[in-house]
Amino acid sequence: MNCQKARVLMSAAVDCELSLREEQVFLLHLSECQECKDELEEAKNTKMIIKEKIVQFKAPQTLINSIMELTSVTRLEQEDSVLFE
Amino acid sequence: MTAHGDACFKLIILDSKPFTWETMIFEPGRFQFMDKPDQTRHVKPGTKKETLTREERQKQLEFQKEAVVHLNSLYNYALHLTMNPDDAEDLVQETYLKAYRFFNSFERGTNCKAWLFKILKNNYINRFRKNSKEPGKVDYDLIKDFYHSIKDVQNDTSEADSDYFHSLLHEEVYQALHSLPEEFREVIQLCDIEGFTYEEIANMVESPIGTVRSRLYRGRKLLREQLEGYAKKYGFNTDTDQ
Repeated sequence: MNCQKARVLMSAAVDCELSLREEQVFLLHLSECQECKDELEEAKNTKMIIKEKIVQFKAPQTLINSIMELTSVTRLEQEDSVLFE
Repeated sequence: MTAHGDACFKLIILDSKPFTWETMIFEPGRFQFMDKPDQTRHVKPGTKKETLTREERQKQLEFQKEAVVHLNSLYNYALHLTMNPDDAEDLVQETYLKAYRFFNSFERGTNCKAWLFKILKNNYINRFRKNSKEPGKVDYDLIKDFYHSIKDVQNDTSEADSDYFHSLLHEEVYQALHSLPEEFREVIQLCDIEGFTYEEIANMVESPIGTVRSRLYRGRKLLREQLEGYAKKYGFNTDTDQ
C-alpha cells in the first residue's frame, strides 16, 4: 500500500469504519510510514476538537412542550377541557 | 376523523405565522382539524381517551420512545442549518409533525434519529434554502452574534493545556466549521457531532460511502488548516481569555 491509498482509508480509520482487511493493510502501511501515522493522529485530534468544542444547546422548553403535546396520549382530553372552560 | 352531522370542527394552527386560506391548500402541515366536541354531552376527563384506538395510542407511545428522545439533537442540527433559533424551532416542529404522520413508514429496527435527520434536512431544503443567502458565503459576524446570543454562560478557562488547540474558543471552532463548503461541513457534523455511521451518513446525503469517506478526509484537513490559522493568530498562547 502506498500513501495515496492510505489516505483513502484515513477517515474510516479515524472513525473505526475500516473493514478487517482494510485495517490490516492500513496498519501495515502505518508501521512503515511516519508521515501517514502523523496524519492519522492529526485527523483524530481534529475530530476530538470538534466533539469537544461544538456546544450542544438544549432545546427551548416551549419547543419541547409543543412536541410533547403533538404526540401526547392525553392531548385530546386537554383540548376538550380548554373548550369547556 | 369522525364526521359530525353539523360539520363543526375546530382548526388548530400549529405555528404562530399568519394563516390564510392559501395555507390550507399549500401548507397542510401547519394545521390540524379537530372535531368540535358535542356540547350537549358532558365529557368526563379520561373518557375521550377511549375514543383513541388502541393502535393510535400504541403509535403515540412508540413515537415518544423512538423519536421524541432525539429532540435536542434535531434542534442542534436545525440550528446549524438555519443559524436562527426561531427558524430552527419551526423546522424541528415541522419535522416532528411530518415524522408522526408518516411514522408507519419508518422501518422498525433502523436508526430513528437518522430517519428524523433526513426528514429535517429535506424540510430545510424545501423551506429555507431557496430563499436564503447564497450558499458558501459565510457571515462571520452573524455566527459570532448567534453564538453569543444563544450560548449558556460557560467557563472557558480550562486547565492550561500544552496543546495549543485547546486554547481555541468554542466560537472559533464553530466559525472554522462553518467556513467549510457545505458538503464537507455536513459530513463532519453528522459524523463527529452526531455520531452517525458512514452508512447512515451516505444514506442521508445520498452519496456512496466512498464519497463520505473522502469528504470526511478532505473536510477534516481543511478544518485543520483553519484551526491552525486561529492558533497562529494567538501565537499558540494557551492563556487566551474569552
